[in-house]
Amino acid sequence: MKLKKILALVLAAVMTLALAACGGGNTPSNDSSTPSQSGNNDADAPASGSDSSGSGETISLALWGGEEDQDLLAGRVEAFKAAYPDQTFDIRVGVESESTAKDTILTDIETAADVFAFADDQLADLVDAGALLSIDSMDQPIQAYAGKSVADIKAANVPVSVEAATYNGTMYAFPATADNGYFLYYDSTRITPDQAKSWDTLLDAAQAAGSKVGMTLASGWYLASFFYGAGFTTGRNEDGTTTMDWNGTSPSGVTGVQVVQAMQKIASHPAFLPVTDGDSSNQIAAGNVCAIVSGTWDSISCSEAFGDGYAATKLPTYMAGDKEVQSGSVAGCKLMGVNAYSKNSGWAVLLAEFLTNEESQIARFEQREAGPSNINAQSSDAVKANVAQAALGAQSGFSVIQKVGGKYWDPSKSFGEQIAQGTIATDDASVQTALDDLVAGVTAPLG
Amino acid sequence: MENPLSEKFGIGPFFSNFGTAVARGDWSVKLSLLWMGAGYARRKQYVKALIMTALEVGAVLFTIFFAMQYVPKFGTLGTVQAEQVFNMETMKTEWNDYDNSFMILLFSLFSFVVWFAFIAVWMKNVVNVYRLQLRAEAGQHVNTFVEDLRSYLDEKFHITLLTLPVLGAAVFTVVPILLLILVAFTNYDQQHMPPTNLFSWVGLSNFITLLGGGDSLTMGFGYAFVRILGWTLVWSLFATLTTYIGGILMSLLLNSKLVRARKLWRTLFMVTIAVPQFVSLLLMRNFFSNTGIANTICANIGLTGFLRDVGAISTTYIPFLSAPGWAHVMIILINIWIGIPYQMLIATGVLMNLPADQLESARIDGANPYQTFRHITMPYMLFVTGPALVTDFVKNINNFNVIYLLTEDVYTTTNQVMANAQAKEVDLLVTWLFRLTQDYYNYKMASVIGIMVFIVCAVFTLIAFNRMTKGDKEGVYQ
Repeated sequence: MKLKKILALVLAAVMTLALAACGGGNTPSNDSSTPSQSGNNDADAPASGSDSSGSGETISLALWGGEEDQDLLAGRVEAFKAAYPDQTFDIRVGVESESTAKDTILTDIETAADVFAFADDQLADLVDAGALLSIDSMDQPIQAYAGKSVADIKAANVPVSVEAATYNGTMYAFPATADNGYFLYYDSTRITPDQAKSWDTLLDAAQAAGSKVGMTLASGWYLASFFYGAGFTTGRNEDGTTTMDWNGTSPSGVTGVQVVQAMQKIASHPAFLPVTDGDSSNQIAAGNVCAIVSGTWDSISCSEAFGDGYAATKLPTYMAGDKEVQSGSVAGCKLMGVNAYSKNSGWAVLLAEFLTNEESQIARFEQREAGPSNINAQSSDAVKANVAQAALGAQSGFSVIQKVGGKYWDPSKSFGEQIAQGTIATDDASVQTALDDLVAGVTAPLG
Repeated sequence: MENPLSEKFGIGPFFSNFGTAVARGDWSVKLSLLWMGAGYARRKQYVKALIMTALEVGAVLFTIFFAMQYVPKFGTLGTVQAEQVFNMETMKTEWNDYDNSFMILLFSLFSFVVWFAFIAVWMKNVVNVYRLQLRAEAGQHVNTFVEDLRSYLDEKFHITLLTLPVLGAAVFTVVPILLLILVAFTNYDQQHMPPTNLFSWVGLSNFITLLGGGDSLTMGFGYAFVRILGWTLVWSLFATLTTYIGGILMSLLLNSKLVRARKLWRTLFMVTIAVPQFVSLLLMRNFFSNTGIANTICANIGLTGFLRDVGAISTTYIPFLSAPGWAHVMIILINIWIGIPYQMLIATGVLMNLPADQLESARIDGANPYQTFRHITMPYMLFVTGPALVTDFVKNINNFNVIYLLTEDVYTTTNQVMANAQAKEVDLLVTWLFRLTQDYYNYKMASVIGIMVFIVCAVFTLIAFNRMTKGDKEGVYQ
């Protein structure tokens, strides 16, 4: 009888906890994960003295970051509290992947987190929806508390990462990493560094080794590699539409048709494996590939799968007509932004700044192998010795910031799938028509 | 004295009763038009008078303090853009009193619903008061408040029981549906997202976009709509019929005395029900993915090479779930595997009630098993499960799970026009709608599609049920 009572009590307690967890508001998934709770418990440690801001109130902030970054963020949040001992904070860390942050935030901006991490391709949409606070406008509080200016922050990070955080001339987020690009991983026991230099030799070597080379074609992000390499561009207009010149001739004299024909040749090679977007880790782990175009997020799966042969380098070249073209890539950054509707925007900006400063970026590299955007952090020996970071560095000379509007993604994804499935005939006229259709769809007005 | 009020239900009698009450009522009835408690007060029903007065006051306060914030802006859906200023003293951002189009739309709608309900109560109140006057004039007993209350537990108990469900339906079903319909007439999309941006009324232009046809590369909605509607109907038809017939055949087979270990087989088929669809469908998706087990096997036994040689495929894999045609057939096949056990359960139940005497006489008359099935079992099944069949069809029109879980992230359209409308050949209207809202924030087009789904479902249900209930079906079946 007594046992039953205890059981009932325990169950009731569990239920209350579960309800409390659910009642956490509109934060996504496991807001009540362990790091956030540890963050809560420590919040009452320093007694709030009257500091320069004159407010003794507890500053509540919600912070969203990727699931794998939770421990890192919890640690940095503690360091943040220690850096501002005069102020009491209640900082909750929630899980929200950088790649899907935009979707969750735009669903209800006013209840989204104060500070959140996101990939730079979401910046334009977030700014257009008014979800991001302009960092340029927050120079005053940053100078007053963090002891540096926005100009200092811009100078401390590599220009490409600042450009990725800037939209229409205004900086809207702090660069956190500069590693969100792609390059080539390969197994050096089966492919020599020389063979990895061009698509033709790479594919032949893979075929000889009885394996395959993987790349995602059905994605506007990867697909653009071939076009950017040949000097083609995309752009985003102020009204959110996209500009694209892929159906013409690039400044370096390569035609779009030649680029597509080169891609068709690659895609139809027996050793080429078109990978579904987001499926690369599975393909690597399953041992289906001996080389794959991917980014730093796959460095651990690649080093496990390739073992001693684990190697990475810049993307291979391809033949467009009779010209050899170095594949380009999209330089991506992870950014840390502040919600424009934050109730404590001043402190939110300071938190975001702190989480992306040199010290935090070094911690991020040490714990997560995320390539820093901070120039000082980048020059550390550990970063230079990292295989994936070195390949990223080699590719960085051929990478661009991808500026596109919302209408870019679906048509380009479909175009990539058409090449992967081989549904476009390879003659000039058919390819030109397909390219014209692509450009028409991408550059269409919004509506 | 003859009763001037109609006792019939309906909108017509409601209004005519109201007219009669106003025309023939005495001064207290007429005063009830202004002060809702007047008539009750005159008949000494003070509690009721108080309640009605409170209700009236409540409605006025609601109007002044809540509705008036939103309803006046309903015509424009807001004009004040959000603006912000950072205050260095408080370290906080300060906002102007900006308009939120969505809140204006939602709360205006809510106000309209409340007003509508209030006007209905107000009119009903006048009729009730007039009814009291008639009773008083005829010298009949006028209920006290306690007696009235008691009647709600007695002869008016149905009203007491239905109050909560009706309120729930109004708040959770009617309001969202009306909201959906209203959004279809606005330009609520990614370029017009509250709170930062405002949206406004655009009339019928969204409907024109969807129904206006045209397969231009820049606006593919009309083109995609026709194709997706077509596939939605084809899918519903096949998904319903295949699982229905399959389920009946399977249950006949498992009921047959020739089959051994019937219970074991039946249990095995039930396992597909026991495993959540989320799991089984995602597994299936992986089995049949471009690099999945099915493809590995086909490549090893040479099927992939054979299909390539005869020109059936152009890829180094069989695009089970990633090319049109292939994916359509696979989806229906996988659905058969998932759907048959459910239908089998239903069919088993129905078949157990099959009148034995009819089967007996058929056997004596020398009917073979096929004839028995064709003329006795099938008509009986159709008679009993007809309404369920219609429901299944409508359910399949909205069968989100199977389509979404099997094709999301796997299927990429190779049709540029479809891609421009953010649609895929394997989409149902409902999955298309889902992605438009979830990935593209295109609430205006999603609302229009939502209305279309509603119309399609309503039309099919009405036609089917009308035909089914027409005539004496039982007689036909006999």
